[in-house]
Amino acid sequence: MRIDQIHMADSGRLLSQLADRISYLIDIKGNSEYGNIGSLLGQIQRLRQSLFEIKESDLFEEIDRIEDRISFLEDRVAEKLSPAEIVNIVRSPQRFTLMDILENVYDSYTELGGEGECNIDPAIVVARATISRRVKNRLYSHQVMVIGHEKGQGEEYRNGGCARPWGNNKALKYMRVAETEGIPIHFYIFTPGSYPIEDYPGAAQQIARNLYVMAKLKVPMVSFISEGGSGGAEAIGASGLRLMGSRGYYSVISPEGAAAIEGKIREGEKLPRKLLEHCAAQLKITAEDNLRLGTIDRIIGEPPLGARRDDFPFFRRLRYEMLRATDELVLKTKNFRAFRAYALKRQAEEGKDVPEDFDLFIGWSLTDLERERLLEFRFKKYIELGKGYFIENKNILTQGIRKTKVFASKTYYDIRYGLLRPHHRNVQKVIEEVSGEGSVFLRKVTEPVRAAYDFVFPQPERPSKVIRSGEPERKSIFAEEWDPYVSPLANEDCTVTCPNAAKYGCLDLWVPDLYGEFCGVCPNCGHHFPLEYQWYLENLFDKNSVREFNAHIASCNPLGFQGYSARLQKDIKHTGRNSSIITFEAEVWGIRLVVAMLFSNFRGGTVGVAEGEKFVRACDVASTTRRPLLAYIHSTGGIRIHEGTLGVVQMPKCTFGVREYNDNGGLYIVVYDNNSYAGPVASFLGCSLYQFGIRSSRIGFAGPRVIRETTGQDVPTDYHSAKNALKRGHIQGIWDRREFKKNLYDALMTLGGPNLYYK
Amino acid sequence: MGKERVLIANRGEIALRIIQACKDLGLDYVVLYTKEDEFSLHVRIAQQEESGFKKAYRIANYKDPNEIFSVADEAGCTSIHPGYGFFSENYVFARRATLRNRPLTFIGPNWEVIRDLGSKINTKRLAKGLKVPVIPGSDGPIYNELEAEEVAEELFFLQKEKGIHHPSILVKASAGGGGMGIEEVSHLDAFRRTYRRIQNYAKRQFGDEGVLIEQCLIDYQHLEVQLLCSSHGEVVHFGTRNCTIQSTGRQKRVEVAPGFDPAVCEYPFDARAVLDRIVKYSVRLAKHVGYDNIGTWEWIVSRDGSPYLMEVNARIQVENEISACISRLNGSNEPLSLIRDQIRVALGDRLGFSQKDISFEGTSIEMRIVAEDTKRGFAPWCGTITRFDYPDECWARLYSHVPRDIPYKIPTEYDPNFALAIIWGQDTQQAKERARQFQKGTVIEGKGAKDEDIVTNMDYLYDRIDDVLQF
Repeated sequence: MRIDQIHMADSGRLLSQLADRISYLIDIKGNSEYGNIGSLLGQIQRLRQSLFEIKESDLFEEIDRIEDRISFLEDRVAEKLSPAEIVNIVRSPQRFTLMDILENVYDSYTELGGEGECNIDPAIVVARATISRRVKNRLYSHQVMVIGHEKGQGEEYRNGGCARPWGNNKALKYMRVAETEGIPIHFYIFTPGSYPIEDYPGAAQQIARNLYVMAKLKVPMVSFISEGGSGGAEAIGASGLRLMGSRGYYSVISPEGAAAIEGKIREGEKLPRKLLEHCAAQLKITAEDNLRLGTIDRIIGEPPLGARRDDFPFFRRLRYEMLRATDELVLKTKNFRAFRAYALKRQAEEGKDVPEDFDLFIGWSLTDLERERLLEFRFKKYIELGKGYFIENKNILTQGIRKTKVFASKTYYDIRYGLLRPHHRNVQKVIEEVSGEGSVFLRKVTEPVRAAYDFVFPQPERPSKVIRSGEPERKSIFAEEWDPYVSPLANEDCTVTCPNAAKYGCLDLWVPDLYGEFCGVCPNCGHHFPLEYQWYLENLFDKNSVREFNAHIASCNPLGFQGYSARLQKDIKHTGRNSSIITFEAEVWGIRLVVAMLFSNFRGGTVGVAEGEKFVRACDVASTTRRPLLAYIHSTGGIRIHEGTLGVVQMPKCTFGVREYNDNGGLYIVVYDNNSYAGPVASFLGCSLYQFGIRSSRIGFAGPRVIRETTGQDVPTDYHSAKNALKRGHIQGIWDRREFKKNLYDALMTLGGPNLYYK
Repeated sequence: MGKERVLIANRGEIALRIIQACKDLGLDYVVLYTKEDEFSLHVRIAQQEESGFKKAYRIANYKDPNEIFSVADEAGCTSIHPGYGFFSENYVFARRATLRNRPLTFIGPNWEVIRDLGSKINTKRLAKGLKVPVIPGSDGPIYNELEAEEVAEELFFLQKEKGIHHPSILVKASAGGGGMGIEEVSHLDAFRRTYRRIQNYAKRQFGDEGVLIEQCLIDYQHLEVQLLCSSHGEVVHFGTRNCTIQSTGRQKRVEVAPGFDPAVCEYPFDARAVLDRIVKYSVRLAKHVGYDNIGTWEWIVSRDGSPYLMEVNARIQVENEISACISRLNGSNEPLSLIRDQIRVALGDRLGFSQKDISFEGTSIEMRIVAEDTKRGFAPWCGTITRFDYPDECWARLYSHVPRDIPYKIPTEYDPNFALAIIWGQDTQQAKERARQFQKGTVIEGKGAKDEDIVTNMDYLYDRIDDVLQF
C-alpha cells in the first residue's frame, strides 16, 4: 500500500497496524531494546493522540518514516532468526490459530464436541469440514474431519492449547467417527504440550491410547505442525504425512524445560536467557532441522517472519498443500502403478507455486485392499523413523549373518507354529475322537465281565493319575534352589528405617536382611526399597535362561548436542551397556518369553533412538517366535531430550511395533517399578492392555515439579503412587516384588490368546 | 579375648535357668527386661548381684532385634542366648548375630540349620529323602485343583487300604500357622468345596494360595526325642518324652519322660521298638543336616504303632528338664543341666561323653502351672499373685520367675505360664503319687482386678495325671 493512496480516514487503522507489527517484533525478540523498537512504539502512541492536531502531510511523512524503519528491522530480524526467536514467533498471540484455518482453508465446517467455552475441552477443536478444489473450472469438495489444538487469543479456557486428558479422548472419539465414515482426517498441532494431570482418563494413558488407535486407523491422515510440544503433539500427530510450517517448531520438550534440566536450575530460580537460547539451538527444533532428521515429511513455506492471522496467501498455500498431501496418501494405495506414479509426479512439479486449479480430481474413498496398503505404508514409515541415528555394526558380513539369521528363524517359526501346529492340532483332534469312540465301544463289551469280577473280589479302586495336556509343569515356589542373587547393597552392616515407620511402627531393618532375605521389602508394612536391575535379571527368570540380543546397538549423539557425547561415554563405561534398554530372551518356569528392560543407571532410563530400535526389534522377535513380550520398567525418565524430536518419534514408532505385535496375537505385559514417567508411559508402555505396578512404584505423565510449574497447583506426595494409578485404572494390579515371578507366571498362563506358542 | 559374656534375650523361668547355667560355667551374663517385667525375679537377681558392670538393661520390646543388638554392643557381650519363643527359631536373627561386623555367638544351632528345619515343608522333604516316615500327604504347596484332588484321592485310598474306617484328611494353608486355615475333610465329595474355601482364605490372609493336604490322624500320642549335638559331629540323645496332654490350641500342659512305659501301661504295639525307631530316625536326620546344638524332634505315634515325624524344634524346650531328670551320666546322681551343655557346645566345646555313658532311671513328670480357666476354653486370667507356696522336697523342683516375697502382677503381654513343677519318681507309679502329693501341698493365692480369686489349672492338672502315658 502506497502512502499517497491513503486517506486521512485510514490513518488510524494504519497506525494500529504499525503498532501490531512493532509488538510482533517485540514478541519475537523478547524485549523492546532491539533497534530501539520501544521508542517507535512511543512515537506511534504520540501520533495517535495528536492525530487531528498535526498536518496531514506531516502525519503521512511520519508514518512513512516509521514504516520504513519497521520494514528495515523486520528484514534484519528475518535475516537470521535464532531457534529461540522462532519459538517466540510461534507463541505470539498474532500467530494464526486453528479457528483461522477453519475459516480460511475450509469452505464450511461444523464444530463437534462443543463450541467455544461450552466444550468437553476447549483446547481441542474438532470439526467436520469441507475442503474444495477446482479442476478445470469445476468445483469439487471433499469431506474431512479436522482435529486440532486451539490456542485462542489468550482466553483462559483455551488453556494455551494444552489438551487435557479428556480433550485427547474427544479427539480419539472423532477419529473413530471419521473411520466409520471413511473420510480423511486433518490434524493441526498447536500445542506446547499436554496438560499434565492424571485425572481420568489420565494424560499418559490417553496419549498412549490415541497412538495405539492411530497406528491402525483406516483412513488417510495428514497433520500440520505449527507448535509441536512433545507428547501433546504425538497425541494427534501419528499420521501418514506430517507437514510443518517453515516458522513452526517441533520439539521434545519446551526450551525452558530443557534449560532447567541442563542447567540444573532449581525451582523458582530465573532461567538465564543465554542458556535458554543455547538449549533451543541445541535441540534442533526448526522445520529445516526436523526435515533433515526425517521426523517430518514436508515444509510449508511461511512468510519470513511467520504467518499471521490475516495472511491469506499462506492459507491458500496451506489448503493446496493439505489437498496435495491427502492426495498423495490416497494415490500411494492405488492399484495402477503407472497412474500412481504419473499423478504423484504431476503434483510434485506443481509444488513451487500454488496453482489455480488441479489437473485431475482424486476421490478420497478407499477400498478394503487400499486401506490395508495405507496401514502398511504408515507402519513402514514409522518403523523406519530414526534409522541411521544409532550405532550399529556396519560390517557387511555381520549384517549379512544377522539378516540370514532373522530370515531363518522367521521361516522356522512360521513353519512350526504357523503351519505345523494347526495341522498337528487337527490330527490330534481326530485321534482323540477315534479313540474316544473306540473306548466306548470296548467298554460295552468288557463292562459285564468286570462288574462280575468286582462283585466277587471287591477291592478298593486305586485312583489313576490324570495326565494333563498342554500345560507346562507348575513348580512350587518352595522348590527353588536356595542360592539366589543377592544385591551388593546387602554388604553393609547397618540398619535403615522404613519410611512408613511412623505410620505402621515398623522396626528398623538390618541391611543384609533387607536386601537379602526380604528382597528389599519391609516385612511389616510392605514398603519396597529400590533394588538394582541386576536383581531382577538374576532372580526373576530361570537360572541361565537369559540370552541377550541386539546388545551391540548403541546410542550416539545425532544432534551434536554439546556435552552429551561425553556423558554417554561415561554411562557406557559405567554400566558396561550400550543403551538404557536390555532386550533378551528368558524363561519363567519353562515359559519362554521376550523381555525388554529399561533400567535407570544409563541416562536415567530415558528412551532415545537406539532404545526405540531395540524395542521394536524385540517386538519383532516376539512376534516371529510367538512368545509373550514383557516390558519391565526398572525406571524411566521419559524421552531423552538430547536426541530431540528423533527421541519423540520413538513414541509412535514403538507403539506401532506393539500394535503390530498385539494384532499378530501376542501377549504384551508391562510391569512398572520405581519411577516411570513421561514419553514411554504415554506411548508404548501405556498402550499395553495389561499393565502392572510393583508396590511403592510411581507412575505418571509428569513429575510433581513439572505439574507444579505448568498448572500452578501442588499435588499430594502420593499422587503418582501405584495405588492411585490402580484407582485411576491405569494399571491392572499391584504386585509384590517377592511374588513377582509367581504373579508373572500366573499372568502368562491366564492372559493371552491361542497364538502364543505354549497355548 | 576376655571372659565370655552371655546376653539373655528372654524372660521368665528360662532366663532364670540360663542365669543358673552361666553361673555354673563361670560366665558373665546380662539380662534384658521390659517395663512389665521390672519386678520379675530374673531382673532382681541380676541387679542384686555384685559385679563390676551393669547386668540388667531395660528395653522397650523383647521382639526388636535392633534394640537387643545395641544392648549387646553396649554391654560388651560375646554371645547371645535366645531361650525359647521370641527369636529362638528365627534364622534371620541368628544369621544377623553370626554375620554382623561384631559377631555374637548364637547359642543354638547355626542359622542354616534353623532355616532348613524351620519350615515344616522342607523338613518333610528332607525326611522323605532319608526314608524317615512323615505324615502322608503332599510334598509341598499345591496350587492346582486337579492336582489337589488327586492327592486327596490317593490319601483316602491309602487309609482305606490300612483298614481305617473313617478316613479323613486335613486341608491347610501352607503359609498359615497356629491352627489358622485348617479344615478336616472326611469325604472326597466335599473336598473340592473345602479346597476352594481354604485356597481363597489363604490368598486373602497370607497372600499365597498354596495348600497342603495330609492325612488326618485322630488317635495318637505326641512324642519327642531330645538330642544334643556338637559342632564336632557328636550326637547323643536323652531319651524320649510324651507330651500328649495339651490344652486347646495345642499348648502342652503335662509332659512325661520317658515316652512310653510298657511296664505300667498296655499298648497295642511294641512300645520299646517304637521308641527305638524314633530315636534312630531322629539321629539319622540330625547327622544329615549337620545339627550342632540342642534340639527336639517331634513325633506322632498312631494307634497302630507307626511313627510320623512332625517337626523339629531347633531350640531348647520348656520341658528339657524332665529328660535331664531321668538321665544319668556314668551312673552318677549328679543332676544334668541341658542348658549348661547347650552353652558349652555352642561355645565350641566337645560333649565330653558319648551315648553309652548315658543311662536312664525312673520317670519324671512336668506340670505347667498356668493362670487360666480350663473350663472356659483355657482363657488366661489376669491379676496379681499374692501368695505362692509349694512343698520343698528332694524329688521335686519348681522353676518360676514369680517372687515369693512380694505380690507379683502377671503381665498381660506374655503368656500366663508362671511356674514349672518337675517331679521325679523311681517308677511311673511313684512319680504320679508324688505329683499328686506336690499338688496338694501347693498354695496359690491371688486377686484379680475385680477382687475375684485367682484361677489356675491346678485342678485340671490333678485330673490329668491319671491319663499320663495311657494310650
